[in-house]
Amino acid sequence: MSLPTVADPLEPAGATVGSGPPEAATRRSVGGDLFRSVLRNKKALVGLGLLLFFVVLAAIPGQIAPDNPRAKVYPPGLGPSSHHLFGTTAYGEDVFSQLVFGTRQSLLIALLVGGLATVIAVVVGVSAGYLGGTTDGILSLITDVILVIPIFPLIIVIAAYERNSGFLTLVVVLGLLGWSYGARQLRSQTLSLRTRDFLEAARVRGERKTYVIVHEILPTMTSLILASFLGAALYAVLFAAGLQFIGLGDPNSQSWGTMLYWAENNEALGAGMPYWAIMPGVCVALLGAAFALMNYAFDEISSPALRLRKLERQGVDADGADIVPARPPDGKNILEVRNLSVAYASEHGPVVAVDDVSFELAKGEFLGVVGESACGKSTLVYAIARLLGAPLAGEITNGQVLFKGQDMVTLSDKQLRLIRWRDYSVVMQSAMNALNPVLTIGAQMRDACEAHSTMSKRQMESRSKEVLRLVSIDPVHLLSYPHQLSGGMRQRAMIAMALLFTPELIVMDEPTSALDVVGQRSLMVQIKELQEQLGFAVVFVTHDMSLVRHFSDRVLVMYAAQVAELGRTRQLFGKPLHPYTQGLLDAYPSIHGAKEQLLGIPGSPPDLLRPPSGCRFAPRCPHVFARCHDEQPRLLEVDGELVRCFLHEQAAEQVEARKEGVA
Amino acid sequence: MSEPLLRAEGLTRHFAVGKLLSRQRLHAVDDVSFEIGRGEIVALVGESGSGKSTIARLLARVYKPTAGEIYFDGRPVSSLRTRRQRLGYSSDVAMVFQDPYSSINPAYRVTHPIERGIVLHRRELARRRRRDEVERSLGEVGLVPAGRVAGKFPHELSGGQRQRVGFAAALAVKPKLIVADEPVSMLDVSIRIGVLNLMSEVREREGVSFLYVTHDVASARYVADRVLVLYAGHLVEEGPIEEVIRRPKHPYTQLLLSAVPDPRAELGVSDAADVGEPPKVIDPQPGCRFRARCPFAIADCETVTPPLRPIGPERFVACHVAVADAEDAALERV
Amino acid sequence: MRFVARRLGFFLVTLWAAVTLNFLIPRLMPGNAAIAMMSRYKGRLNPNALHALEIAFGVNAHQSLVHAYFTYLGNIATGHFGISLTFFPDTVAHQVLQALPWTLALVGITTIIAFVLGTVIGLVSAWRRGTALDGALPPLFVITSAFPYFWLALLAIWLFSIKLGWFPESGGYEVTTTVGWNWTFFTDAVNHSILPALTIIVTAIGGWILTMRNNTITVLTEDYVRMARAKGLKPWRIMWTYAGRNAILPNLVGFAMSLGFVVGGAILVEFVFNYPGVGWMFLQSVENQDYALMQALFLLITVTVLLAILAADIATAILDPRTRERG
Repeated sequence: MSLPTVADPLEPAGATVGSGPPEAATRRSVGGDLFRSVLRNKKALVGLGLLLFFVVLAAIPGQIAPDNPRAKVYPPGLGPSSHHLFGTTAYGEDVFSQLVFGTRQSLLIALLVGGLATVIAVVVGVSAGYLGGTTDGILSLITDVILVIPIFPLIIVIAAYERNSGFLTLVVVLGLLGWSYGARQLRSQTLSLRTRDFLEAARVRGERKTYVIVHEILPTMTSLILASFLGAALYAVLFAAGLQFIGLGDPNSQSWGTMLYWAENNEALGAGMPYWAIMPGVCVALLGAAFALMNYAFDEISSPALRLRKLERQGVDADGADIVPARPPDGKNILEVRNLSVAYASEHGPVVAVDDVSFELAKGEFLGVVGESACGKSTLVYAIARLLGAPLAGEITNGQVLFKGQDMVTLSDKQLRLIRWRDYSVVMQSAMNALNPVLTIGAQMRDACEAHSTMSKRQMESRSKEVLRLVSIDPVHLLSYPHQLSGGMRQRAMIAMALLFTPELIVMDEPTSALDVVGQRSLMVQIKELQEQLGFAVVFVTHDMSLVRHFSDRVLVMYAAQVAELGRTRQLFGKPLHPYTQGLLDAYPSIHGAKEQLLGIPGSPPDLLRPPSGCRFAPRCPHVFARCHDEQPRLLEVDGELVRCFLHEQAAEQVEARKEGVA
Repeated sequence: MSEPLLRAEGLTRHFAVGKLLSRQRLHAVDDVSFEIGRGEIVALVGESGSGKSTIARLLARVYKPTAGEIYFDGRPVSSLRTRRQRLGYSSDVAMVFQDPYSSINPAYRVTHPIERGIVLHRRELARRRRRDEVERSLGEVGLVPAGRVAGKFPHELSGGQRQRVGFAAALAVKPKLIVADEPVSMLDVSIRIGVLNLMSEVREREGVSFLYVTHDVASARYVADRVLVLYAGHLVEEGPIEEVIRRPKHPYTQLLLSAVPDPRAELGVSDAADVGEPPKVIDPQPGCRFRARCPFAIADCETVTPPLRPIGPERFVACHVAVADAEDAALERV
Repeated sequence: MRFVARRLGFFLVTLWAAVTLNFLIPRLMPGNAAIAMMSRYKGRLNPNALHALEIAFGVNAHQSLVHAYFTYLGNIATGHFGISLTFFPDTVAHQVLQALPWTLALVGITTIIAFVLGTVIGLVSAWRRGTALDGALPPLFVITSAFPYFWLALLAIWLFSIKLGWFPESGGYEVTTTVGWNWTFFTDAVNHSILPALTIIVTAIGGWILTMRNNTITVLTEDYVRMARAKGLKPWRIMWTYAGRNAILPNLVGFAMSLGFVVGGAILVEFVFNYPGVGWMFLQSVENQDYALMQALFLLITVTVLLAILAADIATAILDPRTRERG
């Protein structure tokens, strides 16, 4: 029996600062979206089809079967023929007719037990999860006890004292025992919902607890409730058939299980009536499969991770990009990104997340990449590090990434593995997520060492201690697990790990955003010190412009998957050229000087699924004019800086071949 | 001018932590007292773990205080017993939450929380009028065209738009006070200003007071009149915002101000790598909770918890050293 | 340690619940099934044994319920389960011990094989996502996991026994073989257990493959897996140490929860194959209204499941350092 994992259908794809809406389409309107997803899923359709088939059989058996099996009696033990599709039983009944007429009971049991068990599961699970405290304690204990006691033997024990129990008894007993798994799932889900602010918001505005449970919690759990129902229905079909098979049901009833009972009693298999024994089982299996398929399909629908999407490359490859004839890399640059484009497949079509980005990084240089949500900055750096893939969707569709002269885009996984961590390493946003929770810090450092060197155990340990000391962490923490360290220490441990081989380039994706303001500042200082001490180049992604102001040599501003501006930090901050950069810098209220009214940048970034034909910032730009809507500006060079804006056309010289690195 | 809109006295909130039988108590908030006037925006500034979210929830009655009392319009909140009374409080004090992705129920359209607020607290509105009122709320917070927005589900709106829906829902009950728990910290920087401006507008237009909970001092300065600085569950400094920023008295406030992100400012002098972190306050001893990170700590700081003392008109600080300095300065002036 | 102690406590509670259910159910059922059973003992048992049965089934209400309950608990705790009707005059305890090894061998081994195989296949399938292999497996195993155990058993008998004659049709061993620790008996027993074993494995494995696959896919999207890739670790190392080890944790819990179903299915398989294990004896006792035996077997089945779950919990605690602290 398939046990679905509890996937949280409300989990958006990255809920930290300013994550855009497009892939948050895991949330559904009650009914609508769910229905459409079901239609698109093959397994769900097959399951639904099978179910409907049986519903029809149950509804109008008389129309389908040749005759009512009770009515007509044929010669017993006949083999299959055109008159009797599956032969006759030892009592002269037509097997096929029996099958058809037996559908009703089996289907009814499945649906009734499913319903009863689900109702109980919902009441118990949600109450336990929401009400908490002693109520939860008691309900959970009862749930767990029933879950653990083997149900089938228990039902047999109950049925043993009351043999030939009727249909209703069977339904009630099965229903009263089959809710525990669903209750557990629903309780988990409710508990995770408790951290959702909308429940608190409901209480704050004065809603009653019952209202919150029924109207706020339940509607968000429709797929889980449905899955619970399907699981219970499956269990009912199998258990009911099993009970009837061993003779504990009503032997005079018309059902598949009873057929099997009589078949077994008459040794149908050996006596030349195999279909009598096999076909009812086929029906049970098919009905069970219907529920199982739909259940599994719901699993897939409710966890986006389980859905696979293939990128269609048509229409995604760069057109109108600045053409770049092949040029040998410049020796002083450790990294040269040329016309890099990344796209991924979304529900509604391909989305270009990084559009024709080019820049250079000299040895030992610190480049800050800034931008807001959905601008593509994270996708850009992960593409550079060749780390795209679930859940960060995307494939590189165009361009080169020249690292120390080699084009990383063309390297195979094997070749990449040789240079990973040795020549360049990565620091991720959340150490809590980036560190394996079941391995100690020391073990995680060790496996990096093992993968790239032939150091002895002692050497690995001493190197690990060395890098920990570099970031002011007591080496004793090699033996700690990630959850035992504080937030700041975890981030620093990650940085230490990145320094194991003193790589020439470290790519950092918002390494400080998990910390508070004071912690961020001190971590930045530490990173800068290490950089000056060890001489590695840094590509530092952040949404916080002030962080890069004091620590980076150059800044790359991204907007809507494109480079908006690129230049030396001092120059860019002192005299920002692109209206977006200007707006961004102005959006920071200051604690110095006089208090002034700010405007921010009204509106939101464009939908990358259907980017506008003109300048992508035009709808929000205070200096917009007609041409901005019609034509997309190219990257222009002004005073050694690069900017994508028509306002500077006169002052610029159009860059034709390579974008010159800023000297 | 008499009774302030809200007065908190000795507000304390502890949580039981640890294993089942352990008696450890986390002191999230300890003995915090402050006032919020009518039409006033008060900023509550602190880092994560400072207790600011707990205070927000105490004011919104999500938690009951372990000790202390909240007086709203002169009446103690603990005296609210009947459903009617509690409902009345809900209509006076509304809350806006931090995470735009989890503060609106994804199963309904965005009008849902606004409508529910109206149904619960403005029963006098007939059903037909409700629809208009909902759209009016949306328009008030800048979500236009209201008719179109009303038909959308939360996942179809951006983070900034969702926060505006949150404000619309809070305003729909016609509150006197809105507790805003970090309403902009999960939004893009360029969007934040818009929402902060909305807060100011609402205060101007409707006379609604705000408790603006945040970790960002700069945004606090932008919207607030007064500021309360919180560290590890204790109120350490209080005063008019311009004053506190210009002349911070508590060492923690000074540290905080030095770390404020400002792309236009030069890096402050005190940006030395301070590797400390706010403590988890479990069963604390008396003494100043900032002493481990404080460059000015004296012997008393180890053993005596500094009380919040006035050091000027409307200026309060909880620090032995700062209070002593102020007294010296006062003596010198004499 | 605290964690283990808590789980142990929970199991004692569950065991107590099972024993109490045994006590209460015959009393709650309408009809005189117990009385009918008792009458078959009359004249064949000594008064003490008879009295014990009366207490167990509440036939002669001489005592208060509470008194009977504690006497019953006492009997159970000291291993006095009564005399079996089916195997009269042998004690229930003795009969149960006869059947136990057969079931332990069959069900124990097959469950472990199915779980290990299922976990490995699930892991590999998730790792090779998007390939033809992974495309075919999930739907296939979704369907097989819905098969009734007994039906698959019948099919197996029909196909491999009757039609092809490869394996024996029923029993634990040929009646002609002498029972004992000799080679002939051993090979004979194994021969008889192959079909039942296959039946159990094929049906049980599906659920574990699917759960493991889903868990692994979710784990593969975690940042720490991406970090492992970034570190340039070899793929198989990522698959085992990073993905596998984290994905198996919820699978162990799933294993524990689905064990009840496997055990239920094993009962049916033993029934169909006339395999002389606990399950077969259990159903025999139901057939014969041998309630004393039935109750004891029910307790045994419950205890076995509980032990297996405890083992899974301990394994989880060993593999996941976070559990040890949560206690």
